[in-house]
Amino acid sequence: MTQNEINWPAALRATDSGEQAAAVRALRDVLHNGLRIALNSRSDVSEAHLEDFAQESLLRVLDRLDQFQGRSKFTTWAQAIALNVAFTELRRKRWQDVSLDALMADGERLTEPAMIADDVLGADEDRTRLVATLRHAIENDLTPKQRAAILGELREMPFDQIVEMLGTSRSAGYKMLHDARRALKQRLHEAGITGADIQNAFNL
Amino acid sequence: MKPEDQRLTSEQVGSIVKMLSLTTDREFNCAECLQHVSEFAECQLAKKPVGEVIASVEQHLALCPECREEYEALMKILKAGK
Repeated sequence: MTQNEINWPAALRATDSGEQAAAVRALRDVLHNGLRIALNSRSDVSEAHLEDFAQESLLRVLDRLDQFQGRSKFTTWAQAIALNVAFTELRRKRWQDVSLDALMADGERLTEPAMIADDVLGADEDRTRLVATLRHAIENDLTPKQRAAILGELREMPFDQIVEMLGTSRSAGYKMLHDARRALKQRLHEAGITGADIQNAFNL
Repeated sequence: MKPEDQRLTSEQVGSIVKMLSLTTDREFNCAECLQHVSEFAECQLAKKPVGEVIASVEQHLALCPECREEYEALMKILKAGK
């Protein structure tokens, strides 16, 4: 039986313990192979990492089995979860040597009024007005946490690290970022700056 | 970090502006994106049109570099299995 022919949710829930164990082993192999393909170009991922990611992913998928709604192949859905597990851990490891104190200090600096390098303005009048409006909005319309979140993201700080630094949850952190972007967009809108102006000024 | 190092570069300001141009009132968060990204990836692979819900995945991927990284890895797996 091929992967596509297996009714994965049913097999993983099978009352026959032998059938269920076989499905769990097969799913673990699928996840392991997928992670190997996805991460084979990374020098920071060893075989031991792949084993750990596959095992952790398997548990996560089994835990979320009820959330599978059949809108994609089961294996594609499970691979997406496995990649989320693996990349979240890799991002955390990349930042694990940065102390919480250093992050908090960075966070404090990030809440200072944003500075925009003079050469960003250029000679274009529309771009100058847009950047000046944006600078004013970052400094005055965002809360310190919103400013820290948006600037942390710009500096490619992992989102999990940002929310940890701010002492909030992922969903609350995402809402904070979304609210910040909406506030900045609203300020540009009130200043009469349109989407077309933005696209023209920055060649988007 | 020296104060001058904190100054936003032209590229970073461009990133903010791009994020703002893509911002809408209702957006998927990362968890919602993860719930639907497998369907989006299969549609992309099959070059099938995407519905309204799945279009929200595309919008989130344009805004979130971490979810985009995971999506690109998923596409790599799916393409290897074709």
